[in-house]
Amino acid sequence: MTMSEVFIDGKRYEFEGQPQLLQFILDLGLEVPFFCYHPSMTAPANCRQCMVKVGSPVKDRETGEYELDDEGNRVIRWFPKLQTSCNTVIADGMVVQTQESDELVQRAQKDTLEFILANHPLDCPICDQAGECPLQIQTYKYGPEGSRFEVKKVHKPKHVQLGPRVTLDAERCINCTRCVRFTDEISKSHQLTIVERGDKNYPVTAPGRSFDDPYSLNTVDICPVGALTSTDFRFKARVWEMNQTPSIDITNGKGCNIDLWTRDNLVLRITPRFHPEVNDYWMPDAGREAYQLFNENRVSHPAQKLESEQVSASWNHALETLAEQLEQTDRKDVLFIGSPHASVEENFALMQLANLTGAKTPVFTPHVEEGSGDGFLLSDDQAPNAEGCRLLGLEEVSPKQMQTKVSEARLIVALNDNLFGRGVLDATHAKNAFWVVFASNHTETTQMADLLIPITTAAEHAASYVNVDSRIQRTFPAKETKYSNRRLSMEMSEGRLDRFGTSFDNWVTEDHKIDCVPFWDFATQAGERLGLNLHLIDGRQIMDQIATMNPAFEGVSYVTMDEQGGIVLAKESMAKSK
Amino acid sequence: MTYEFTKEDLDRIESIKKEYPEVKATTLQVLWVAQDRFGHVDADVQRLVAATLELPEAHVHGVASFYTQYYKQKMGKHVLDVCTCLSCQLCGGYDILNHLEKKLGIKAGETTKDGMFSLQQVECLGACGYAPMLQVTNGEFVNHLTEEKVDHLLDKLRNGEDPEHEMMEMPLRKQKENP
Ligand code: SF4
Ligand code: FES
Repeated sequence: MTMSEVFIDGKRYEFEGQPQLLQFILDLGLEVPFFCYHPSMTAPANCRQCMVKVGSPVKDRETGEYELDDEGNRVIRWFPKLQTSCNTVIADGMVVQTQESDELVQRAQKDTLEFILANHPLDCPICDQAGECPLQIQTYKYGPEGSRFEVKKVHKPKHVQLGPRVTLDAERCINCTRCVRFTDEISKSHQLTIVERGDKNYPVTAPGRSFDDPYSLNTVDICPVGALTSTDFRFKARVWEMNQTPSIDITNGKGCNIDLWTRDNLVLRITPRFHPEVNDYWMPDAGREAYQLFNENRVSHPAQKLESEQVSASWNHALETLAEQLEQTDRKDVLFIGSPHASVEENFALMQLANLTGAKTPVFTPHVEEGSGDGFLLSDDQAPNAEGCRLLGLEEVSPKQMQTKVSEARLIVALNDNLFGRGVLDATHAKNAFWVVFASNHTETTQMADLLIPITTAAEHAASYVNVDSRIQRTFPAKETKYSNRRLSMEMSEGRLDRFGTSFDNWVTEDHKIDCVPFWDFATQAGERLGLNLHLIDGRQIMDQIATMNPAFEGVSYVTMDEQGGIVLAKESMAKSK
Repeated sequence: MTYEFTKEDLDRIESIKKEYPEVKATTLQVLWVAQDRFGHVDADVQRLVAATLELPEAHVHGVASFYTQYYKQKMGKHVLDVCTCLSCQLCGGYDILNHLEKKLGIKAGETTKDGMFSLQQVECLGACGYAPMLQVTNGEFVNHLTEEKVDHLLDKLRNGEDPEHEMMEMPLRKQKENP
């Protein structure tokens, strides 16, 4: 059977099945402007922006052959009106003309934009969406130079607090209904509707109801204009001043793919990044709040407890203290605690340090809150890497067992996990031991520390996490520490301000670089001091080591992870590895 | 305020549901049942409709807000929709509106203190041939208005009588019948 064919702007393409015309065109890397269409939702074709000219070849009824004109070309019967490409299904032999080859289409797209803009406030200079606004971009590319509407614009409600996290400016809305369809089709909260009619339309909740959908901020991402904005991020930064770094959501076990948006080494917002098998285009609102975790309340510079008060200590002192403690304490009395909140690489480094010093395998307690998952993008598991800890071979213990182990230990080396804050331990369990705590943020647990050593967060290092579905995915460093350098690090990207900013610019300071190191760095130095054979350079090299040592991670490397959007690890192989 | 449907309303709603393949399609009809019962479909009534039909509140709200015929707040016993669109305007629609405002002592968009009348200024009701005109509570059209005719209407309504139905001739048919 021959492939079906379609002709777009005079070029022949082959297709299978029944693709939608707009998606087909976009998949080819070509463009037709559109607003209301979204690949993960139904296509109501209400913005009318994606108009194209469509025709089908005429066939002779009897022979089934294409009718040809005098020059031997197929006779095309054009549809009587322009069609919206988003909901047009391609048929064999269809001929399509877009704005690239047809003046009528150009004219239609231009006039549609003139209508869409008739009541739009055109307040781009103060609008958060400017710079990443489909309406702005498409008006620039396909729109009219001016408007023939000289009458007063229709006024609608402004800065409406739709819910705890989303603010609406109804005047900017073009009534594409993407936000409404999102709550109907994706999050299924059905909280939004379009009210009124004609030029008074806008989306809102039922009277007295709050738009508190746990996924509400996705509507801000898909709103093709600045009508829906994030209450939290509003007016914080212009898009073009920020740098965008791919990362993984570490606030639960699902491992949504995300982007971290930074300016001056502060994470200012978090948005979802498309991954067809993990999170599609979406992420839960909770994950977006992690930016605070990266910026605020950070442990910066080591500290040691002197007479029940933590005082600042030098890095050398911290190293020496840890080494001395490890040397002095009987192996049996040393407890290494791994963390489902830390990456695979960090837990591996901890395991190595434990093994080489002759201590027992590190333990960890998962952080699960039954009932907090929703079967969508929120999991019961509150930690990003419990599965990683298991696959590495850390010993999984219940809170009870953890309490016993902690009470019996004399020296505890604990990796980034707020065991005291999340109810696993309380002060009574902690009395006997000397606590060495590696942590990124100040918590109840860091207060217990006799030696507190600051380490990097997922926003500052490249490291991997294994999600609840056993998919290993990795982060990229987005934010510099005192010891990392954007220009020298092969893993880091540079935004415009990162590259060209100087201390004379707004938003360029040294203030937000935390005095911390990746855990494996410190582990390696401790290893050197103790005369151990431990060489951990960075996440990439550590993952290569893990892949050769642990069959569960066979074939995993940063290269393969980057190429394949993460790798699903087979759970069974864990049992076989020791 | 909490509202409740009577047994009779609920039976009516059940029989409406039988006429449609899915519940969503019954929203319009059930809003009418509610407006017949309570005189309006304010936020609380919309909620009742949503709960009764097990539909999202937002959906019911969207439908109710789309149609001006649904009253989204408590209205007077009689709602007078005075057309001031083009034809009526040219034939004195505003005079009628002003007369009513003066007579009732309220502005368009308001309700009299005794709760008897609400006055609204509306766009074309499709009766340009009999301008100026008004509509009484989503029902009877009163055509070819004059101040006297309006006064008469108010009296009638106050007395609890229905406005009389006016048979309007189609101009074209008249020509054909008497050539
Ligand atoms: S608020 Fe945005 S997403 Fe929602 S209908 Fe308006 S333009 Fe579309
Ligand atoms: S994208 Fe096709 S009509 Fe909106």
